[in-house]
Amino acid sequence: MSSWNAALELGGLDIDSTFRETVFAQLRESFGQMSSPSTAPTSAQHAFEKRAAAVKAPKSDINALILDYLTMEGYPKAAARFCKEANLQPQQPDPSIQMRQQVQHAIHSGNIEMAISALNEFDPEILDTNPELHFLLLRLQMVELIRQCEGGNVIPALEFATKNLGPRAAANPSFLGDLEKTMSLLLFPHDKLQPELAALLDSDFRRTTAAKVNEAVLLQQNQRREAAIRQFVRMRAWAETSARAQKKDLPESLDVGLDADKEESGDNGDNDNNGDEPMMTT
Amino acid sequence: MTNPYHHPLGSTTLAGGEASAGLPPVNVRRPSYASVVSGGSSSLARPGRSSFSHLLNPTPDSEQQPHASNHFASAQAPQFEPGGAYAQNGASGEDDSARYQFNQTLDRALRPSRLGSSFPYFSRAFDLYMGKDPLPPTHSTAPDDLRFPSDPTMPNVSSTGFLSPSYLRGTIYLQKLEEKHRAKLLAEREGGLSAGAQPGPSASVASSRIVSNGSSSHLPMLGTKVTGSAHRGVAYDVVEKPMLESEADDEFSPLPSKWNKDDKEAALEVLGDGYEVRHTGRVLSDHEASSIRADHYISPSCGVYYFEITVLHKRKDQAKMPPIAIGFASKEASVTRAPGWEPDSWGYHGDDGNSFASQNVGKPYAAQFGTGDTVGCLLNFRLNHALFTKNGQELPIAFKDIPFKDIKGKLYPIVGLKRKDDHIMANFGQRPFMFDIDGYMRTQQEIIEEEIRLADTSRLVPGLSETDLIQQLVLQFLQHDGYVETARAFAEELQAEKTALRLDPSEPVKGINIRDDEDAHNRQRIRRAILEGDIDRAMRDTNTYYPSVLRDNEQVYFRLRCRKFIEMIRQEAELNLHLESLRRAAAPQQQQMPDRRDKDEEMLEPGEAGDDDRQEGDRPDLHHHYHDNDMEMEDGLAAGEAAAIDAVAAALSRLSQEALAYGQELRAEFGASDHPRRETPKQLDEIFALMAYPNPLKVKEVAHLLDGSGRVAVAEELNSAILTSLGKSSRAALENVYAQTCVLLEDLRRDGGDGAFVTVQSVIDKIPRPRLR
Repeated sequence: MSSWNAALELGGLDIDSTFRETVFAQLRESFGQMSSPSTAPTSAQHAFEKRAAAVKAPKSDINALILDYLTMEGYPKAAARFCKEANLQPQQPDPSIQMRQQVQHAIHSGNIEMAISALNEFDPEILDTNPELHFLLLRLQMVELIRQCEGGNVIPALEFATKNLGPRAAANPSFLGDLEKTMSLLLFPHDKLQPELAALLDSDFRRTTAAKVNEAVLLQQNQRREAAIRQFVRMRAWAETSARAQKKDLPESLDVGLDADKEESGDNGDNDNNGDEPMMTT
Repeated sequence: MTNPYHHPLGSTTLAGGEASAGLPPVNVRRPSYASVVSGGSSSLARPGRSSFSHLLNPTPDSEQQPHASNHFASAQAPQFEPGGAYAQNGASGEDDSARYQFNQTLDRALRPSRLGSSFPYFSRAFDLYMGKDPLPPTHSTAPDDLRFPSDPTMPNVSSTGFLSPSYLRGTIYLQKLEEKHRAKLLAEREGGLSAGAQPGPSASVASSRIVSNGSSSHLPMLGTKVTGSAHRGVAYDVVEKPMLESEADDEFSPLPSKWNKDDKEAALEVLGDGYEVRHTGRVLSDHEASSIRADHYISPSCGVYYFEITVLHKRKDQAKMPPIAIGFASKEASVTRAPGWEPDSWGYHGDDGNSFASQNVGKPYAAQFGTGDTVGCLLNFRLNHALFTKNGQELPIAFKDIPFKDIKGKLYPIVGLKRKDDHIMANFGQRPFMFDIDGYMRTQQEIIEEEIRLADTSRLVPGLSETDLIQQLVLQFLQHDGYVETARAFAEELQAEKTALRLDPSEPVKGINIRDDEDAHNRQRIRRAILEGDIDRAMRDTNTYYPSVLRDNEQVYFRLRCRKFIEMIRQEAELNLHLESLRRAAAPQQQQMPDRRDKDEEMLEPGEAGDDDRQEGDRPDLHHHYHDNDMEMEDGLAAGEAAAIDAVAAALSRLSQEALAYGQELRAEFGASDHPRRETPKQLDEIFALMAYPNPLKVKEVAHLLDGSGRVAVAEELNSAILTSLGKSSRAALENVYAQTCVLLEDLRRDGGDGAFVTVQSVIDKIPRPRLR
């Protein structure tokens, strides 16, 4: 008998048939009176908008882009969650995403030493085979040292430079310019730097360095260099620029529907998105 | 004065025998490795020897096929891989409905009677329905087989006659052509079905019709191979209709594929499946020549167009280069003149190596060409120029700044011959080219891709850098589509990133909090239910939280109910598999049922049901006792097992009845043939057909109807409907980006511009396909 019941419960056989009947009857009735479903098109829609509205963006493609992004750019928790919620198999095993995320995190926090040792643990040759990347990391480490000692003792920074940067620049003249720029941070007050030098002290320098390291690791893992969504977004930008250059008939502006323009900095993800529930700022 | 065809005719008219005999070995063809690369899916490839469909598809020249039998060397069945094929097919995003209908017709065609044996999946009948025509392998071929090789010469032509030159694969242009081709086949197929009695088990009806057609009158040359046609299964009788004038403005007109025997100077004859042209020897004056155009014009939408000719005739005076010319011209250009001499005509002449751009004064261009040489003509619509190739080598640009956009007529491939027995054969892409056109095309694509790589995204949403923009797009998508947990996890990780990036530890970090959004939760719950296959729960929840949605969206409601039916069939199928394995295990002996509880539980795991061998494998000990079958029947355990089987059987039968009843309910509600949505009854037919299979999970062709991707589609449709009902955009910003890019590229693709070389799909395709769990 138990098997009987079990079989019946196999995935929702417990149909509430009375309920179903009622609902369906209601629905049938309403279909009878129904005209076309209510849509609220704006009156003067540009032909372009209409065409775009007719394009179906397959969910499977969008989901693939999302999972790829979360995986490639190192958001392990979100990637795992997304796999669960969207019923997808992970693109990469968790530890691999986590490793890259940890390296990125270390760089973002300015802890370059930790990043370098994590990288070496992942693959002892990765920095040896990428001297530019190694030099970039060391330069960032130098910047972090300078940041720490601003107005104070510059000796640790100088020591670091003579030990790590100088010899490398001597061996590779193409590093020289970058070395000079980095060193000049020691000479000028940080609030009066040329933009080129100020950029070194900006957190964006950490971000781009982390991204480059991530790319190198991805390549090492025999993968593509960057998430497909980047190319995807660039393709959109390129296509619009080209189409406008060729005087194609386009609306004055093409809104992607993000509505993110009220806050001019990208630092906050707290923008309301075309009517969706906003993300709240704490 | 510069008439290049000024050659004495007299001494050279010695016939070389039959047109097709005594041909010189033509140069070794380099296998186009690029076509292998671009071809990609080797699993779809079938042996290259199966291209004989052109014989079954009579063309205007089919009477003139002296070497037909060669193409029958060996026909092998292609592999049928519905899943892969569909996946590859989903490129444009616009073809979903087409695919849906396509599946449905497939299903009707496949439907056997409930007990009848189904069509072997490898039957040729399914060629027609393959999502993608099988890609040909590119074997290197022996040097002397170029002309009439013993194996078919057309690896790039599908068995249904679809021409897909390797360099155009992956382009929207070819994809559109393929869609049209398939639609045409389906239309013909449907016509055949309606003629063939009931819509019931019509596959066999249709197939016999086709077989008889396929082996009928247009195979007179088969000789000893005639018997071969029977075992080849079903072949298709596709009549290439002559192109209508109304199609003339179509952006996606078919590729040139043959010489057009109705568009030539009288002295020329078309041979060899329409690929060869021979001069029959009428004496022409100096300013005359005999030209012939191909059957279709070159659509600029392809971006780059390429074809080749090989000069076949073996002349006594080999040193002399025969007056043969290759080029492109509009219909305005007279066929009594050589390519290049007329307005809207361009050509490269073999006898003097000159190029002619719409005038009869030529310019020295490149070397002469003659017997045994292969010369190609390449039009680049993006760069507005044309060039030629000789024996695989790229020659300089011949014509710069061709006003492609201003030319009134359409351009056709054209050749001009002058003297008796001059004889050429064209390659319109049906075979690998000698020139590495795939590599050329790839270079063009790479140029565009590089431009895209360097594109500045900062203006898409003012104030957002690329990284910021992408983060926002992703976060917004996750919220919009109700991926609550993911959105939260992502927000946390973004915040951690920001915290790390902050230079001043005392600086407060603004948090991104995903507010506990009741609505997103509800939508996520509903999605979850559908993804788990519990359609009733999803509908109940939808009616609780969004009472108007199902009422206002009949299509969504219909799809949900169809899915419910499919889920019932799926359960039935799984239970059926389980019962089979139970019976098989029980039949040898009735003892030693290890643990019935276990068994019942196994039954509850749908994932296992498809794997009946496994269950048997789990109990190797069961096979020892089959000889005392009868005695063991008395045993209590055996009786218990019998009861278990009975119970499952009873459950199964109840399930079947319920599914049937539900199906009838659906039929009553939606099945009216005058239903306002014409496709609805057809969709019903499609899923009802599932009932015809003893076990649809085992039938490759329909199993995909049952798989999880259908749940995803229904879930997303419902989610969109709910969003619309809430007054929210039914699309996330990321989807807008997708759609806008598609339309922008479409605009850029017209006239063969940059857009012809890239697709959104090419970006998506770089991602390893995520699998459903």
